[in-house]
Formats: sequence, C-alpha cells, structure tokens
Amino acid sequence: MSKKKNPYILADADKCFPNLDGKGDWRLEAYRKRGGYEGLKEILQTEPAAIIDKLKASSHRGRGGAGFPTGLKWSFMPKPDGIKPNYLVVNSDESEPGTCKDRDILLNDPHTLVEGIIIGCHTLGAKASYVYVRGEYVDEADQLERAIEEAHNFGYLGEDVLGTGKTFNIYVHRGAGAYICGEETALLESLEGKKGQPRLKPPFPAGYGLYGCPTTINNVETVAQVPPILKKGVEWWTQFGRPNNHGTKIFSVSGMVNKPGNYEAPMSIPLKVLIDEYAGGVVGGWDNLLAVIPGGSSTPILSAEQCQDMLMDFDALRGAGTGLGTAAVIVMNKDTDVLKVMTRISKFYKHESCGQCTPCREGVGWVWRMMERLSNGEGTIDELDQLENVTRRIEGHTICAFADGAMWPVQGTLKHFRPLFEQRIKARNKTKVRKGA
Amino acid sequence: MTTAPQPAPMVKVTIDGQTTEMPKGSTIIQAAKKLGIEIPHFCYHERLSVAGNCRMCLVDLEGAPKPVASCAWPVADNMVVNTQSERTQNARKGVMEFLLINHPLDCPICDQGGECDLQDIAVSYGSDRTRFHEAKRAVADKDLGPLVETVMTRCIHCTRCIRFATEIAGVPEMGATGRGENMQVGTYVEQALASELSGNMIDLCPVGALTSKPYEFTARPWELKHTDSIDVMDALGSHIRIDHRDGKVMRVVPRECNEINEEWLSDAGRFSYDGLANNRLTHPMVRKGKKLTATTWQEAFAVIAEAAKGMRKNRIAGVAGNLLCAEDLYAFDHFMKDTLGTDNVDCRTNGLTIDGKVRAAYIMNTPIAELDKVDAVLLVGCNPRLEVPVLNARLRKGVLKRGMKVASIGAPVDLTYPVQTLGESPKLLDDILEGKHPFADVLREATNGVILVGARAVLTRPDSQQILDKAREVAEMYGFVRPDWNGFNVLHQATGRITGLDMGVYPQKDGYHSGGIAEAVKAGKIDLLVLHGESQRPASDFEGAKFTVFIGTHDSPYAQLADVVLPAAAYTEKAGLWANVEGRVQEGHMAVRPPMEAKEDWKIYRALSEVLGSKLPFDNQTQLRALIAKLNKAYAPENIGKVTRADWKHFGMSGSVREEGLSTSVPAYYLSNEIMRASKVMRDCQDLADARAAQTMKKAS
Ligand code: SF4
Ligand code: FES
Repeated sequence: MSKKKNPYILADADKCFPNLDGKGDWRLEAYRKRGGYEGLKEILQTEPAAIIDKLKASSHRGRGGAGFPTGLKWSFMPKPDGIKPNYLVVNSDESEPGTCKDRDILLNDPHTLVEGIIIGCHTLGAKASYVYVRGEYVDEADQLERAIEEAHNFGYLGEDVLGTGKTFNIYVHRGAGAYICGEETALLESLEGKKGQPRLKPPFPAGYGLYGCPTTINNVETVAQVPPILKKGVEWWTQFGRPNNHGTKIFSVSGMVNKPGNYEAPMSIPLKVLIDEYAGGVVGGWDNLLAVIPGGSSTPILSAEQCQDMLMDFDALRGAGTGLGTAAVIVMNKDTDVLKVMTRISKFYKHESCGQCTPCREGVGWVWRMMERLSNGEGTIDELDQLENVTRRIEGHTICAFADGAMWPVQGTLKHFRPLFEQRIKARNKTKVRKGA
Repeated sequence: MTTAPQPAPMVKVTIDGQTTEMPKGSTIIQAAKKLGIEIPHFCYHERLSVAGNCRMCLVDLEGAPKPVASCAWPVADNMVVNTQSERTQNARKGVMEFLLINHPLDCPICDQGGECDLQDIAVSYGSDRTRFHEAKRAVADKDLGPLVETVMTRCIHCTRCIRFATEIAGVPEMGATGRGENMQVGTYVEQALASELSGNMIDLCPVGALTSKPYEFTARPWELKHTDSIDVMDALGSHIRIDHRDGKVMRVVPRECNEINEEWLSDAGRFSYDGLANNRLTHPMVRKGKKLTATTWQEAFAVIAEAAKGMRKNRIAGVAGNLLCAEDLYAFDHFMKDTLGTDNVDCRTNGLTIDGKVRAAYIMNTPIAELDKVDAVLLVGCNPRLEVPVLNARLRKGVLKRGMKVASIGAPVDLTYPVQTLGESPKLLDDILEGKHPFADVLREATNGVILVGARAVLTRPDSQQILDKAREVAEMYGFVRPDWNGFNVLHQATGRITGLDMGVYPQKDGYHSGGIAEAVKAGKIDLLVLHGESQRPASDFEGAKFTVFIGTHDSPYAQLADVVLPAAAYTEKAGLWANVEGRVQEGHMAVRPPMEAKEDWKIYRALSEVLGSKLPFDNQTQLRALIAKLNKAYAPENIGKVTRADWKHFGMSGSVREEGLSTSVPAYYLSNEIMRASKVMRDCQDLADARAAQTMKKAS
C-alpha cells in the first residue's frame, strides 16, 4: 500500500499479475525476475493438506464467476486411488460478454498460470492438467503453449520436476467457439470430444469428472492467484478487501469509460473509484452515468443510483441483487440505449443456449423475441409482466446455470427500466392510433 | 470372475407424505412409481440412460434451493419430496408451455394423435390459450429410410431416439446438430439407420416426430381393435399386439415382456404385415390345363383323393415350412404319416441334420432373461444380430453394462459390440477343449458362461454332429452345465423349425429328409408331394413330382408348382402354439379371419383326411391340443408361456470336424419367409441393405 492517499491503488509488488498490461516481458526469465517460480520447490514439498488449509484461511474465492471458495473446492478432491488419475482442468473458455481478463493473463503473464497449475496439480494429486482455451483465442493459446514449452525446458514441467520426483504436464485444448463450453461440465464433455452440453449433477466432477475421473475445474485467474497467496502469505492477501471477499481481482472495465481495460485492483473497491481512478472516468462525467453491468453480461444491471456507493465484491453485489460474476464491468452512460444493449445481450444468450433442456432451448429465444419487440415499443404493457413471468419460468428449472444467467439481465432491466419500456410502448401505440385514424 | 452384486443398502424416502424404502442409487421418479405417484415425464425411459433434459419431471425436494429433476436425482435417506407443491406445479406448467410454443398444433393430422404423451400431459398442465405471439419454428424433415417417417417440427428434443440408437441398437448415427432452438435431431448425413431394430424409435418418441411410415395416415388409434399375440418373424417369440380394423391388420407393435423382448420388436416383426395382404391365396385352386383355377374345397379335395388313389406309400413325400404352429405341424405330420402312410416327411427344409430326440440339443437352454447374468459368450457360427435381433440387443447390453466378453468362431461379423473373432474354422473348438486357446481362460473364469451355436451355419454341415459334440463338451468342461445353470444354446431363426422338431416332423424310420426328398423329386421317384408353407429351399428343388399339393398362404413359385393349391391361414389369422428359441411354448391368437375361402391349416388336414378315408383323431382344437400335449409336455396347458428345462442328455457324435470355416451371413435377411417376401416394406429394406453392402464392398476394395 504505497500510496497512503488512496488505498485502492495497488502497488506493483502487490499485484498477482504485474505484467497484465503487457508492458514488460512475458517470458520465463522475466517472470522469474518478478519473483516467479521462486520457492516452488518448497511448495511442491509441502503436504497438499497444508496448502488447502492455507487457501481456506485466505478465503480465496473462485474468479470464474460463481465465487466458490477455492480451498473448499480443492478439499473435495479425493486422493488418487492408483486406478483412476486425478485431473486439474483449467477453464479458459472466457466467453462472457465484457470479460477479457484471462486473455491478458495468457498473453502477457502466462507463467503465472503455468506455475499455478504446477502447484494445483501437486495439491490435487494430478499429473496432467488440461487448459481449455476459447477457440477464438488463437494467439493466446499459442502464447500459453510457448510458455509451457519454456517451463518444460527449465524443468518446471515434465518428469521429476525440480528433482521432487513429481510429474506434471499441461495440455492445451482449443475450443470451437461455444459459450456453453465455459460451463464446467460442458467443458468436460467437449474436452472428451463430445457435444458441449452440461452434464446432470450429481455426480459432481470431483467424483466423476473428465473421463469419469476425479477432476477439479478452475478458472485461469483462480489458479494463477494460488502461487502468490502461498508465497506472500495469508496476511498479505487478507489485507485487501472485506472478510470473505479478500484479495485482488482483475476487473475488465469496458463501455462508456475513457480508459477501458483490464485492471488488477483490491477487492471491495468502490465502483466509483474503479471507474474514476482506473478507467479514466465515465465518458461525459460521473453524472452522465446511466447504468453498470457489474460482473459480465449475465449479472443484473445496476442503476446509476446504486453505483454511487457500490463496493465491488461478491457479497456487496449479491446484496444489491446482482453479482460480481467475472468482474467484467460494462459501463453505460446516458448516450446508451440501454434497452437495445440488453436486447442484444438476450440475443447472445439465445444464440449460445446449448439446446439440451426445454426451458432454455425454447424459452431463451422467446424472451429475446419479446425483448426485441418491447424494446421498440411493439407490444402491450401487459406483456412486460408476461416477460417477467416467462423469465421466472425459465430460471431455476434447467440443467445448468446458463439459463439463470440469461434471465437475470432481463429481470434486472425490467426492474430498473420498466418505465422506459412503458414509455416506448405508449409512444408507439399512439402513433399507431394516429396512423389508423 | 464377477462376484454376485451386493444388494444396495435401502434408504427411506417420503413423497407426498407416503414413505417407502428404496435401494440406494435409485431415483426419485422410481420411488414415486413404487408409491403409485405419477410424475409426468418425457425424456425419462426405464431402459435408456438418464438424460434429464425435458425438465417435465421437476419436483420439490425439501432443502433444495430449486426444483430437481426426479428422473435423475438419486434418493437419499430421509429425503422428503413434494410433487404437488405450488413450485412443482408451476415448474410443470412452465415446461409444458415451453414445449408447446414451438410445437405445431397439427394433432388432427398427426398419427400420434390419441396416443401422444405430449397431448396427454398437456391436458393436465397445458394452458387453454397461448401467450406466444412470435413466429413458430419449422424444422426440415429428415429421411430416415423406409420405416420411420419424420415430422421434425414436432420433435421435443427428448433424445430418446438418439439414446435408443446409440445404446440399445448400437448404431451411433443418430444425433443432434445445432445449438439452442436450432438444435435438430437426425442422422446428419441423412441415411436410413443400419439397424434391424429402428422401429422401436417410433414407440419411444413421445410425440409424432417419428412415426411409422408404412402405417402413416392409415388409421386412428381409437378405431383399432387389439389382439395380443406372438411374433413369428424370428424365433424369439416376441410379445406383440396386432392392431386391426375391419378384418385387416393395420399395424403390429410390441408388448412389454421382460423375460423375452423387454419392450422391443424387430423391424421384421413390426413392418412385415403388409405382406399379409399381398399376393394371398384366397381360394382352393386346381390345375386345369396350364392354369390354376379357383374351385371349391370339395372339388379340390376330390382331385387330391383321385390322385392319391392306390399310390405307393414310399412315393409320397411332404415338407413343412418355417412359420407353422404346433397344430399345423402336428396335423401335417399325422396326415402324412398316418393318413398317407409315408415316412418321407420333414420340417427341416434348411437342411438341418439333427432330429428332435434330445430337446436340449436344439434349443437355448439358457432362458433369455438369464442372459443378463452372463459374463462370457462363445458364438459358434452364429449371427445373433440378424438371426434374432432383439436377443442381440440383450447381448449388447451385457457387453456395455457388465463388460461381458464375447468371442466368435466364424466369419467376422459386426454385432454392434466388440466381438473377438477367434477364427473361422470349427477346429478351434479343439484348441478350446484342450485349454490351449487364450479365450479358454476367459471361459474358465466365467461365472455364467454360454455357448451359442448357430443352427443355420453349424447344423446344416455334414460334420454338424461332430461340431455339436464338441460344443457340448466345451459347455460341460467349462462348467456351463450345472444344476443351476445351462449355458449350452442353439440359435434358430425360424420358430416353425423348433416347433417342428418338437412335433417330430422328420422321418422316424428310414424316410427321406428334406434334401433326400428334393433329390427323389428330381429323380422322378415322388408321385405325390405335399408342400406345406414355403421353405428355405428354392421352389425349383421340388419341381418334378407327378402330383403336387401346395398348402400355404401366398401365391409364389411354390404355389405355381402345384396341381392343387389349398389356401391356409397366416399367423395373425389363427390361434396356435409356437415354441421360441428357448423352447418356451406360447400361444398366439387370431386377430383377423383368414382371407375369403382360406382356412386354418390343421382344419384342412382334418377335412382332407376324412375325404381320403383315414380321419385324423381330433374334431376340434381342444382335442388337437390335448394330443400335442401328450406328445410333448412343453405343450401341456400348465407349461404354456413358461420355460421348461430340457433334460440334459448326451448328443452329438465324436469325430473330427472339417477345416472349412463357419459362415455368419444371413442372405436376404429381410426376405426370410413368405410373409416378408410378400411385403413391399421388407423388399425396400432388403434393397437398402444390399445397397449398403455393395457400398461397403466398394469402400473395402
Ligand atoms: S424425434 Fe422424438 S424421440 Fe427423438 S428427440 Fe425428437 S421427440 Fe424425442
Ligand atoms: S423426465 Fe426428468 S428431465 Fe425429462
């Protein structure tokens, strides 16, 4: 905390991803100079249980969207039984609109992930890890492969890593461009060469995952944050953010801000500080703010009023009826047609539904079509209630959380912008009557 | 090798206030079924893997934040479920609405109408008006071949058909393409499924997306009368329901019978019924000059009596076909042997070399349902996929679910599951007997092993007795024959043959067997030849007798050989007893009357015997059945429908077997009998199979 004045500005030394902006060198040598791979051997000689305890004490929560405690998740993994291998699968199918943090990690600081995977494999009893990279991330996957090759050359990967007798390997798998493959069990199906569709749970991946073997699936950022936590300690980590929301986090700020980008900042940072200090402020000034989507397209929208003193962490956003999600902050100012934006998001979900289960397959398209009409004022005011009702009939009734994520933004829009809908419907009906007359 | 599975521990489940015990690992929907609580569902099907995709079965589980899919959710101790709560009802109504928004409202022109799950459940959970004001989806229909009609706009994406094709039928071509609301079910490259079981997808499809092409638009379910009966297109004895209207068979569907066909039916059994209406013999006919002309029964009988007058008994012969029931065969046999006094009688027109003395030597001694306990299978010249398709699905289940090992002696064959082809020559049996062959270890370690000997390939060879002998020895040596288990099996394709052997329809003294009869006919040694039903031999084999009588159902080259033709009843037109592969005798029932002047076969013999002055000793079917029961106890009333264990006796002859390989091919499978040959649908299937075979050949070369 170098700058006393503003505790929310993170010093380079406190960053998990010091080269996130790509100004430095991504290569192994440079990463080592920044402290990478230091003390790795000692960690590999630590009991996995001790590592998990440390993670639990840090209260680190998954960075992929759901915010599940990492230490707890890792503790679910059974010890290798000698028959079936354990796997660590890294989810890099980053496709949530607004989210682009893993992309910069892969491009500019890929060794943070490689080191995280090595420690993860050790902790989870896995010899092999698969990184499922979004199909569109061609350069990113290439970069990761280069980093893996470097790590091999330096003896961090392969057989007998650093003389510990342990074997770790990382395989990069490129997706084929389906959002749903970011859902962890759909990802596993896709990895197995099948159609990317979420599995029924139970059984959960920890017991029955990739090829039916015990599997842990984590987001890129989650895994990459493990080494700094272990090395710098729980105390360092918990100084950031509020209890149960500790640590640092990459925020992908986009939309109507002056300096969009990926910024690593402490958790629980006020949204206003994030936008003003990191992202150069709202275009047209804070008062020109209309609304913010706080955690990727599936999290319900926040009104400008709510943004005023919103803290950016799991619990605060949850309290406001939305979520931190992937921490992809999409800023809209008053020049934005928010209904149009939300309709476009609806269309995205309609396009990406896997089609497996009924409410999602049939309902998401229906909701988008209603959004398309109602956002243009075509329809009746009653239909706004119907729209809300249809989203409730979809939410919570499907195999995976995709449909919930597709419905929340619509529900959020209705909550905050229903008057705007009504205004457009009335205006349009008036012209119709006039034309008819 | 495998230890008996431990019974799963029981857990207590409460649904809607009623409590029951369920084995761990079962699901809520199963518990509800046990309690008699109905949970509406579409994608769930007992015999398929759980997909959990329709979401119709959502129920309220105490402590769960959202409703759970009862078809997939495992029971746990002290679980409390509510299927009537508001949350459940809302979920059901929601799913129903979603299913209906894009479903066409074409029930009036849909063949599924009246027996459609979607229709039925919509009555309870559907709304009487729509809130959907967008354009409905339309989906291009798929070409799945001559059996399955598709109207894909009606598809509710339950994936039952996909799961059936991949899991049960073992043809992975069915699948879903596209995502979200653009998801489409089909074969992707648009081809008929290479399966002998594809019709079952029609039954499984809960809506009218997949319907029967031959049945298309021919009847409404509520117009149909139903008669339960037994399929005879292969020897499995599948339970069927014959649906008919105004004396015409409109369709054939399977009935559930866990011990035999589960709930499946072969395509041959399901779709060959159009052959019942084509090309039928409807009147007695006598040859006048070159032409067969219709006449009365009296005249036809008189012509036969005239011809038979003073005939030398050893110049008379008769062969029986493969679809006949016990009554027909008994009457035929006694007509030939007693009335006409000849021993030149045979039902084994495929050249079978064994007789009916040891029943254990020609049936499956392992009851079909017991196959679910088998862990190792040795096939000897056997192609269960074509010989008994539904049985093959059961074997496949064993391979997939229990890791059952299957090895085959005979030409390599695709049975839809991994089969280790040991080689083609039956000499390999020697290696197995000596314990030299690697597969011997598998057999030795098997808890419940079976050996399946193909009647077609093995029992028609000159060295069949020797092969049979060795197969028996293998079964005995590897512990397949024990007080609690008999794993020696012979697999027939035709039920009439098993029934014929049971009825003793073969020479008892020194008469000709079927091959001998054919030779004798050619050599001009036969003056009166009775052909009952069509046989496995080409009609030309029987050309040349001085006087030929044909008793059968279809006009064909056989009928054209005859001097007198007597029209008989097909399996749907008579009550009869048939033995299936496992020797289980089952009763088929008359669904419709034989066409016009045609009569049940046994009645024909009874009447004709009287005209010939040596009356058969029965006046009605009850008396006839009593005689049959006396001949073979498996046919006694108390044994009907049951498996009677055959006594294990010595059979076969020791000696060396030939080097020559065993075939596994079933030529022209879809044209296996006269009904199938008269069926246009079956001909289409055969054309398709031929085209496919030609294509594979081309690819291979
Ligand atoms: S065609 Fe029928 S069985 Fe197949 S997915 Fe569609 S509704 Fe289900
Ligand atoms: S029956 Fe359970 S989801 Fe379809």
